[in-house]
Order: sequence, then C-alpha cells, then structure tokens
Amino acid sequence: MNISVKIGNVVLANPVTVASGTFGHSEEMYQAKEVRCLGAIVPKTVTLHAQQGNPPRRMCEVAAGMINAIGIENPGIDAFIATKLPKLKKIGVPLIVSISAHSAEDFVLMAEKLNVADGVAAVELNLSCPNLQKKVLVAQDAEATAAVIRQVKAVTRYPLIAKLSPNVTSIVDIALAAESSGADALSMVNTFAAMAIDVKKRRSKIGNFTGGLSGPAIRPIAVRMVCETAARVKIPIIGMGGITCTNDALEFLIAGATMVAVGTYNFINPRAPLEILEGIRVYMKENKMTDIRELIGSIQR
Amino acid sequence: MSDILKSYPVVALKQVSPVYFRLAFAAPGLARVVKPGQFIHIKVSEGFEPFFRRPFSVYRAHDGIVEIFFEPVGKGSRLLTSKKRGDTLDVLGPLGKPFTPPAAGIKQIVFIGGGIGAAPFMLFSDRIKVHKAEKLLLYGGRSKAHTFSMTDFKKNGVRVLTATDDGSVGVKGRVSELFKEIRLAPATMIYTCGPRPMMAAVQAFAKVHDLRGEASCEEVMACGLGACLGCSIPTVHGYRTVCHDGPVFGLNELVF
Ligand SMILES: Cc1cc2nc3c(=O)[nH]c(=O)nc-3n(C[C@H](O)[C@H](O)[C@H](O)COP(=O)(O)OP(=O)(O)OC[C@H]3O[C@@H](n4cnc5c(N)ncnc54)[C@H](O)[C@@H]3O)c2cc1C
Ligand SMILES: Cc1cc2nc3c(=O)[nH]c(=O)nc-3n(C[C@H](O)[C@H](O)[C@H](O)COP(=O)(O)O)c2cc1C
Ligand code: FES
Repeated sequence: MNISVKIGNVVLANPVTVASGTFGHSEEMYQAKEVRCLGAIVPKTVTLHAQQGNPPRRMCEVAAGMINAIGIENPGIDAFIATKLPKLKKIGVPLIVSISAHSAEDFVLMAEKLNVADGVAAVELNLSCPNLQKKVLVAQDAEATAAVIRQVKAVTRYPLIAKLSPNVTSIVDIALAAESSGADALSMVNTFAAMAIDVKKRRSKIGNFTGGLSGPAIRPIAVRMVCETAARVKIPIIGMGGITCTNDALEFLIAGATMVAVGTYNFINPRAPLEILEGIRVYMKENKMTDIRELIGSIQR
Repeated sequence: MSDILKSYPVVALKQVSPVYFRLAFAAPGLARVVKPGQFIHIKVSEGFEPFFRRPFSVYRAHDGIVEIFFEPVGKGSRLLTSKKRGDTLDVLGPLGKPFTPPAAGIKQIVFIGGGIGAAPFMLFSDRIKVHKAEKLLLYGGRSKAHTFSMTDFKKNGVRVLTATDDGSVGVKGRVSELFKEIRLAPATMIYTCGPRPMMAAVQAFAKVHDLRGEASCEEVMACGLGACLGCSIPTVHGYRTVCHDGPVFGLNELVF
C-alpha cells in the first residue's frame, strides 16, 4: 500500500501531520516514538524577533472547540534555529517550519536565514498577519498574498506552503493567487475570528478580546473550503480544521486534501494523529485501495 | 506518550464532606512515579462537552492506587461525581513540575492551603513523613463544609490550624490570621496553593520576613503538556506555562 505523498519535490512517508501551534515545545513529546511515525511535523509559527505573546486569559473552551489568542509567543527565528531546530531535527521526521512576518521583506529575511539552516523539509507561510499597508490580514488580500509568496519563492530553496485564513469572502480567490505566484502547496484552514463573553462579568473570556475558533465546531466549514479549493487548484492541500478521528480525516482527503493535520484535538487526545494514520490504512484496505491517490479527491459529484 | 496517556479502572468514589469528593483509581505505575505537586489531566467526558480535559492534583498515591480530592464546581468536575467502581478514567499524567523537597536543614515546613488548594499537601506530607522538621498546615476555607478531614494530616505529623470565612471552625477570617504561627527564621520553608489573593498575601508576608517558599498555581488548561502556550501566567521571567514550567513556581517568581 502506498500512502506516501509529495509537497513540492519532498516526499513524505504518509499524509498525516500536525497543525502549527498545537504541537511542540515540550521536548518529552519529541522523544515519543509515536511522533516518529508522522508524515511531517510543524512547530509553532516563528517570527523574526522574539514575541512574548498576549496577556492571559489566552484561551477558553466553547461548544466542540476553543478560542485562542496566544499571540504567537516564540523565541524568534535566530533562537529557533540555534536551540529548537537541532532538537527537532533529531526526531528524524520531515520538518515544516512555519514563519510569519509583518512585511514581505521580513518574510524574505527569515526565508534566507532558513536557507542556511539545516534539516528543513519545507517552509509554511502563516499569512494570518497584519498587512501594514491595509487594515486587513495578508491572507485576506489576494494581491498581498501573491506579493509575499512571489518574493519568498524567489529566495527560498524549500517547497513553499501558503497557510490560508478562512476569514475571507472567497478562499478560492486567495488560493488561486497563491498558486499562480508560486506556492507549492496550501495549508487550510487557520482559525475563524471569534469571541465568547462571560455574561457575569460582561467581559470577553479572552484577554486579547477576540481570538480564533478551532476544533470540531469549524470542521464542516473547513471541509467545504477544502473541497471548493481542491476543485480549482493543482497544488496539494494540507487540510485541517477540527479533525479528531479517522472519519474526520477521511472527509478532508475525499474532499481533495493531499495531507491532513490534527490541531486542537492534540490537546484532548495526543494520540489522535497516530490513530488516524492507522485508521486511514484500515479504510484503504477495506475499500481495496492500494494508493492514497485513489482516496484523495474521490468525492462523487 | 504511551506511558503518560492511559485508561485506569475506578476503584471508589466517596463524598467526604458536603462539598468534597475523593476519587480513587488503580494505577500502579502512576502511583509509583508521581511527585507531590504534579497533576493529572482527566478527560471527563466521552464526547465534546466539556471540551477540554480537567487538571487535578494528586491527593494520595500508595499501593497502586491514585486518588484525587475534588470539589464539583462546574460541568466537568460534576461529571466525575457520577463515576462508579469499574468505570474507566482517561488520564494524561503525571504532568508538571513538582514541589522541591525540603532540604535536610529545614526546621519548619509550613503548608498554606486555601480550599481545595490543600489537596497536594496530603501527598506531600505522606512523602516527607520522616523529615524531622516541625510541620504545619495553615488552612483557609469558606465554612465547615469546606474543611478537610484533618486526621490524615495529623497522622502525618502535621499540626493543622484552620481559619474559616464564617468562623464555623477555627479562627474567623482569612488564612493570613494564622501567619503568626510561622517561625520567622531562614530554616522555614513555605509551600502554598490556593486562590490567587491568598497566595499574593503569602508572597507579601514571605518577602517582608525573608522566607523561602514555593507556590502552586492554577490556570485553565488545554494540552497540559506545554504545547499550546495557552495557560501562561506572568512571572518575573516573563510568561511561563502553568502546566509545564509550573504548576509549582518559586514564591518570589510570581507576579500578582
Ligand atoms: C494544576 C491544577 C491542579 C488542580 N487540582 C485540583 C484538585 O486537586 N481538586 C479540585 O477540585 N480542583 C483542582 N483544580 C481545579 C480544577 O481543575 C477545576 O475546578 C476544574 O477544571 C473545573 O472544571 P469544571 O468543568 O467543573 O468547571 P467549569 O464548568 O469549567 O467552571 C465552573 C465554574 O468554576 C470556576 N472554575 C473553573 N476553573 C476553576 C479553577 N481552576 N479553580 C476554581 N474555580 C474554577 C469557573 O470560573 C466557573 O465559574 C486544579 C487546577 C489546576 C490547574
Ligand atoms: C492554541 C493554538 C495555537 C495556534 N497557533 C498557530 C500558529 O502559531 N501558527 C499557525 O499557522 N496556526 C496556528 N494555529 C491554528 C492551527 O494550526 C489550525 O490551523 C487551526 O487550529 C484549525 O485546526 P484545528 O481545528 O484542528 O485546530 C493555532 C491553533 C491553536 C488552537
Ligand atoms: S495547557 Fe497547553 S501549554 Fe499549558
């Protein structure tokens, strides 16, 4: 049975990975032999300079999900390369490094720093960052998305993955802009802008006032977005949004995602990615499939 | 992961006061390795309601049995009150940084617990029974219903002093009414766990009298593993996660 997939020119042993920001930081987890079974791992987004993150409360649970406003707490790209990367490399699983910046120039600077680092399989651009020229996120503006991707693509030696925000009118338009400007793959979707209110205190439950919704609550919307986008682009999609079990992952694969990422549910069941990997194998066997490509995009219309 | 994520059979659930419950489950490996101040992260429901796991301190761990001591305050902890012998408990743990054991030269060990915050001190006093220091528990609760059965602490050689908001047991007032029992000497070690205002008062007292101590903190948790960075609190070193860098911090590291 062949379940290997390709992102750009990089071959990954299987289609199961983890979503940025939901996995990592604790070295004990990296040691776990289960982690070594994943197709790839994606640590939390790194920025040019260290960021301390948002004041607490940084998250709250809601029906079938959570809202977070962590504020991309991270040590900055230089410290990441110096201290985190060597440990991540040792796991022996292809590493997708997620980066974010406030300008195309900073994205380029970070991509150049990663070029001289070692042990990176691909770079993911977290485009849910403010676009300094306009009042929207880069990922909400097709032109800004294209400009960032074009400039990073010109310098990076790695396959480039564009991570899209679902907080847009037409995610297909943004996806097409990303593809035509050189993205090798799409990662979709990031969290949905949301808030929850403590009615006793009449305050937001989140220190940052608003945050991003993730978890099973968003899955049907994420599946729809992946399905619409997969029908229009040729590059592979890493599908995510509320995946908790094999069935959820299969929905994304059938909708047209080449890979699936477990995010929030890692917090509830840290073994979910492994269970899903096994579940995909079982499903393919039951359905007499020998190649994952028979499964990907197999939705009947 | 396979060694810290497991299902265990429930052995007993007991209501021990009008507001407190004890839940025991068979977990020989966990009972052996857990250290005082560490917690376990329990998946209380089969479905998504409530969504997050719930953190609980380990109250006792002996003979292959692990116990938690809890107060049903909301939907998650209330679900635990319906557990029966033979049910399974989905547990992630032990997690977090434990209390630092008192050095041999310590002459007085003072536990300061507010409400359910005294729970980890039972395991702690179990484990340091042989330490020669004088041991005290200064306990603050809302009312008589919120006081522990103190005989187990006494069996561990811990003298218990109680303050309640309504005066139904012990001194009427805050736990700070009991601070005068603390020996003002560098050979005293303070361990505290409870509501933030109480721990802030303990920190202020310790600072004035130059006493050493540790505090165990609480925050809403998702992963419990230091992965999501969602449970961070301000410390003198910047934000630190309660689940992974804590829950136990140096008393003077905390920013209230
Ligand atoms: C490291 C650690 C150790 C803990 N050890 C214990 C323990 O040994 N025994 C125990 O009973 N509890 C302990 N707690 C607290 C326990 O985790 C919470 O009481 C529990 O998560 C509440 O869940 P719930 O679904 O019942 O309440 P929810 O429905 O989530 O909340 C109901 C109400 O309780 C309040 N609440 C929520 N979380 C807390 C909290 N952490 N403390 C006080 N009130 C809260 C909410 O504001 C709300 O008003 C510990 C917490 C931490 C972080
Ligand atoms: C606590 C938390 C932190 C996150 N941090 C990041 C991040 O740093 N970078 C990023 O691209 N996405 C981040 N995300 C978004 C996830 O990677 C994912 O796109 C989203 O949560 C949807 O998937 P899920 O429902 O499976 O979690 C974060 C999500 C959560 C819940
Ligand atoms: S709960 Fe996730 S970092 Fe603490």
